[in-house]
Amino acid sequence: MSQKHTNASGTLPFDHSYGIGYTINHEDWSPFPRVNRLRQAFLDRPYEIDVERLRLVTEAYQEHESKPQKLKVAHAFENILKKATLYVYEDDLICGEIAAPAKASPIYPEFSANWIIDEILNSPFEERENDQFYIRNDEERAEIVELCRYWQGKSIEDHVNVRLEYDQIKGSQMGEKIFQTNLYHYAGAGHLVADYPMLMELGFDGLLEKAKTALASLSKRDADYGDKKEFFEAMIIMHEAAKAYLERYSVLAATNAETETDEVRKAELLQISANCHNVAGPAPKTFWEAMQLFNVATALIQTESNGHSISFGRMDQWLYPYYKADIEAGRITKEKVLEIIEVQYVKMNNATKLKDKGTVAVRNGRGFGGESLTLGGVDENGDDITNDLTMIMLEASAHTRMMNPWVCVRMHKDTPIELKIKAAECIRCGYGHPKLFNDTPTIKGMISKGMTLEEARCYAVVGCVEPSLPGKEYGWHDAAYVNTPKMMEMVFNGGRILDGPNKGKQLGPDTGSLETYTSFEEVLASVDAQFEFWTSQMISSLNIIDNMHRKLKPLPYVSAFFGNCFETGKDVTEGGAKYNGTGPQASGMATCADSLATIKQLVFDEHKYTGAELLKAISDNWVGHDRLYALVNSSKVHHFGNDDDYADDLFKFMFECYCKNVKGMPTPRGGEFSPGVYSVNANVAMGLNTNASLDGRKKYEPISDNMGPVHTECCSHDICGPTAVANSVAKVDHSLASNGTLLNLRFPEETVNGIEGRDNLIHFIDEYMAKNAMHVQFNIMSTATMKAAQKNPENYKDMLVRVAGYSAYFVELGKPLQKDLIQRTELKF
Amino acid sequence: MVKKGLVFNIQRFTIHDGPGLRTELFFKGCPLRCKWCGNPESLKANIQLGVYKNKCISKNKCGACLEVCPQKDALQFHRGKLVSFNYDLCTNCNACVDACPAEAIKQWGKEMSIEECMEVIRKDKGYYERSGGGVSVSGGEALLHSDFIRELFKVCKEEGIHTCFESAFHGNWSEIEKVLPYTDLFISDIKHMDPEIHKENTGVSNAKILENLISFSKTDKELIIRIPVIPNVNDSQENMEATADFILNQLDGKVRTLQLLSFMRLGEEKYQSLGMEYNMSDVKVRRVSFQKKIAKFAEYFNSRGIHCLVGTKEKQ
Repeated sequence: MSQKHTNASGTLPFDHSYGIGYTINHEDWSPFPRVNRLRQAFLDRPYEIDVERLRLVTEAYQEHESKPQKLKVAHAFENILKKATLYVYEDDLICGEIAAPAKASPIYPEFSANWIIDEILNSPFEERENDQFYIRNDEERAEIVELCRYWQGKSIEDHVNVRLEYDQIKGSQMGEKIFQTNLYHYAGAGHLVADYPMLMELGFDGLLEKAKTALASLSKRDADYGDKKEFFEAMIIMHEAAKAYLERYSVLAATNAETETDEVRKAELLQISANCHNVAGPAPKTFWEAMQLFNVATALIQTESNGHSISFGRMDQWLYPYYKADIEAGRITKEKVLEIIEVQYVKMNNATKLKDKGTVAVRNGRGFGGESLTLGGVDENGDDITNDLTMIMLEASAHTRMMNPWVCVRMHKDTPIELKIKAAECIRCGYGHPKLFNDTPTIKGMISKGMTLEEARCYAVVGCVEPSLPGKEYGWHDAAYVNTPKMMEMVFNGGRILDGPNKGKQLGPDTGSLETYTSFEEVLASVDAQFEFWTSQMISSLNIIDNMHRKLKPLPYVSAFFGNCFETGKDVTEGGAKYNGTGPQASGMATCADSLATIKQLVFDEHKYTGAELLKAISDNWVGHDRLYALVNSSKVHHFGNDDDYADDLFKFMFECYCKNVKGMPTPRGGEFSPGVYSVNANVAMGLNTNASLDGRKKYEPISDNMGPVHTECCSHDICGPTAVANSVAKVDHSLASNGTLLNLRFPEETVNGIEGRDNLIHFIDEYMAKNAMHVQFNIMSTATMKAAQKNPENYKDMLVRVAGYSAYFVELGKPLQKDLIQRTELKF
Repeated sequence: MVKKGLVFNIQRFTIHDGPGLRTELFFKGCPLRCKWCGNPESLKANIQLGVYKNKCISKNKCGACLEVCPQKDALQFHRGKLVSFNYDLCTNCNACVDACPAEAIKQWGKEMSIEECMEVIRKDKGYYERSGGGVSVSGGEALLHSDFIRELFKVCKEEGIHTCFESAFHGNWSEIEKVLPYTDLFISDIKHMDPEIHKENTGVSNAKILENLISFSKTDKELIIRIPVIPNVNDSQENMEATADFILNQLDGKVRTLQLLSFMRLGEEKYQSLGMEYNMSDVKVRRVSFQKKIAKFAEYFNSRGIHCLVGTKEKQ
């Protein structure tokens, strides 16, 4: 097949090999010693909790108690930026953290504080099995508890809790965990891409000018005059504070330069100081200045709110003009550009977020998380836009091999072969990046959210999986995790769970049970009815949470990066952005599909078992039902993931049923709900809370991950190799899941060895994409390697593994998740 | 025309026998008995049953096989688990295969029609087209099924699918001629240059094989030759030199790639399931030094002008 080409190039040939799989004790991936030192310094630094933000935000709230909410949050932000201790780190080329030292998590009590008190007193962060955090000393420990007490009753969590009713609570993380709204119930929403081109063009001064003009032109005849006025006033306070924050860094870097004895470093510090000063208001003029402005502007989004997945958009695109101008003027070399990018990549890991233990159980990992960086793809006219930075940014990724940034390459029919090879070379070296998105179904999904074709083509990925429109969409992506096998349990058993404290209680509506269904159509109708009931509970809960964010924690700082907010005079939490959806995601689809296949085949097609017998088997957690258990786990029963329409059609039914019950429901911000189908790694924690299921899964085993097939303790259900899995997954219309889908594949190292191995991987990806599947990511890691890491974790400290949606350090993951990763089918060509 | 072929395995997405991403069909029955054979289920040209005793969940908990077997004594149990068959009593009804829920009883070999094969083959057509892959046949000895494969490959070629025929070439030249027009690439072996040693280790002399290779070199078809390098059987410099001489002098060097495959202990579990003895269990290989030795052989062949690689690849 013919391939398109590009002249775009990085510092190395596009087909440079970075090796295959993880290499133990390799500390110098980068050609820049500085970058290797920064990387090591990051790995060696402990995860701490920093008290400053908590102290400063509390102080400001107390001082401005009676002010309107938007001004209150603005003054709090200003107070933090004015007083937080600043750091310029050794070797660094860019400065600016999230108002806390590198790798130390600030506290955001505006969202929730109860769990912080509870965990400090009852289950200390230091003693967690994974995702530990360290409080520096007992005084700070006491101070944190005391300050958090001020917030009790005032946080978003508290306000949400008193507004939820029993039907919502019983389904949520506070009840049966059929759906989990943890993320935004206890923390900020994040999951956005700022309009970086606008920021770069205008600088903070330009944005302030826009805000001042909008403020001045407000009409007193506007019914919302007061709200809008406060909004712009707040925005102005915050962006002035951002300028002052940059000036503080400029001064600090200059002060450090004074005492620096190394002349080279001294010059660097002076340049850093100048860069900070030059963008503390005005727009950047050079590549390095643009990176400096980007870093601080983004870090401040994470200072305003702890919503994660603050993503960088199409960075190879919006940075390109600065790159091009500097290169053409001879101000910079490709090598220097690469070094600055690598330094910034390492720095992107510094932002750290303390999460409650419930959230941590669902999603391991201590970073803020979700900082996606999108490369390649098409422009608004549909033409390929690969450039030098696309290649350089992939090189930087292979040279740093860290959790962040979460690099994503957009693929389309004209993606140049050079870029495919570069991406495959990165994938082959086994650190889990980049993930690959497919433009065709993704753009179709964006259009289904109401965007124009031209807009849709400009999507970037936020977080693990979610396509979003930079500067225009505040999409509440990743809003909730839905445990579909748990809903299926209600289908099996008349709206009741099989076991647990609520056993016997009527939780959902009684839509029939395996003892009563007389046809398979009745079973499917029951699935639909349960899904409708539980997604309604979830949607209404999310909308209540959404309203509390609007009421208590407006975000005027980040709103300035959404042009539409200037037009509407509304904060993003009020629906100021152009697109205002909410995206909750379903997990465990294959578990449900294989369960349905069992029922359809054994009860209704072959009449080998009765529904009652099946119900008894799972009620008994398969104990005493060995024959049925073996059969259900054998290839004699149809299973999803084998390119077998019987089971694949049932997966399709599940997928469409969930999407249909979520898609298009209104959000309080004037947008629409947008379904996603992925679990990231929540399938493990969800499984721990789910009784046995008819796919041959025992109680507490993980439910199926993302779009992947079932693997139970007994065996993997996909036995026909990767093309069969890919074909099965591609049978659904991925664009229906406009909040994203994900397929995670694992190959052992030897499978992708050599030029032929690399090309086979590329051809496999090409065909998967041609079938219009949305997203795929790879683990190039054998079972043997993972087992070795479990045995000698000290040797594998920096071994990244693609968990699903994101990469994390394998040895830092909880044991159940490690086990799940190992159990996922190792595919061989 | 033969309507059905006896296939014991279809592997989708293989990369080892031919270029690109391929679907490979393995046919049953083989005239050779190579001591290192990794596919013991391929040897006999009839349907066979094997037992995976670890998978049996015991007759007390299940007993499905006993419920359907017309000759209960054909099923042999140890500590309640099915461990083997008494093949003399077995009526070959295969009812137990369908009945066993745990897949402890494996049926090796299935009669498949051209259309049944094509149905599987077509599923991955897109992958073949992108990667330059296609369909491969292997065995056992695929030549035993040359009539069927001729028809199968004919359909493949009509549908634009690349075809590859893997064979030991121990058969009449007329069998090879049957598939020649529809086959794009052949893969064959030279296991040893000495007819006696060849016979000792494979059960047959190499005379026919070498003769067929010479005949083949006069056609315009592409050929990959493989040497399965087996410790203490054919891993001598002398044998490699003789092989190189043969390729250069008798085949006129017409080999696309010579591939050296390092001995691996494969298929022990399958031997066990069929109640067969595994001949290679005593062979110990020091992996690193053995690999080095093979790399040296590859170097030697290349120095003689023969494109040679270690493994099933064609590019470095």
